[in-house]
Amino acid sequence: MKSTNNHDNFYGHVFDIVEIQECQRNRYPMLFIDEIDQVVPGVSARGKKCFSFNEWFFPAHYDDDPNVPGFIQVECLVQTFIMTFLCMNEYRGKKTSFVKMNNVTYRRKIIPGNVLEINATLNRFKRGIASGSVVSNVGGDIACSAEFVVAIPDVLDTFKPK
Amino acid sequence: MSQKTNSQKYDAVFMETFMVEASELSNLKYQDVIAWDSVGHMSMVAELEDVFDIEMDIDDIIDMTDYKKGKEIILKYGVSL
Repeated sequence: MKSTNNHDNFYGHVFDIVEIQECQRNRYPMLFIDEIDQVVPGVSARGKKCFSFNEWFFPAHYDDDPNVPGFIQVECLVQTFIMTFLCMNEYRGKKTSFVKMNNVTYRRKIIPGNVLEINATLNRFKRGIASGSVVSNVGGDIACSAEFVVAIPDVLDTFKPK
Repeated sequence: MSQKTNSQKYDAVFMETFMVEASELSNLKYQDVIAWDSVGHMSMVAELEDVFDIEMDIDDIIDMTDYKKGKEIILKYGVSL
C-alpha cells in the first residue's frame, strides 16, 4: 500500500506500531493494537491485534486455559477507537481518558494465535469529547463490542471554568 | 406518563452527571464534588446540549461555574426553566 506524508489524508495508509505510538500514549504493557490499516480521520478506523502466547497476561489468565481478559479486549477496542481522532495533527499524541462505556458485550473466547480485527466508528467528536461504537471479530466471528465516550483532557482544559 | 419539565430535565443532567442529590443542587459549583472536574464539566455541557437541542458558545461553557449560573446561561438559548 502507498503511504502518504500528509497525516490528515490517510487513504491507503497503514499505521505501524511506531506511528501508532506517535498518535497515542499507550505503551507496553498497555498497548493493545499492532496495526491500523484503515483510517478515515474523524469517521472510522480499523485495527488489528495479534495475540501470541508470549503476551504477559496469558500465564495468569489462565495457566490451564489461556484466554484474553475482558478488560484487555476493551482496551483493544478503545485504542482503535481513539485512532479515529488522534491521527489528526491537531490531536496527535494527546492523552485520553474514559468518560463512559456502554453495552460491552463478549461473544467468544480469544486465545493464543487469534488475530483480532477491530472496527471503530466515531459518531460524534466535539470540544475534546468523542463518542462512538466499536466491534471486533476473530476470523469473521464477532468477539467483543462496546460503545465509548472518551475525552482529551488537554482540550477540555480550554473550556473549564476559570 | 407525565413528561419532565425543562427544570426537571436540567436538574436531572446535574444529578446524573455529578452523582448528587436534588438537595445539593442549589449551591453546587465547579469542583465541589469529584465528578465536577474538567471531564465532568464537558459531559454536563454535552448532555445539556443534547437534552435541550442547543449549541453553547465557548464563553458560556467557561462561565458555567455553578448550578445557578448555568440556569441563567441556558435561558439565553431560549430554554424556559
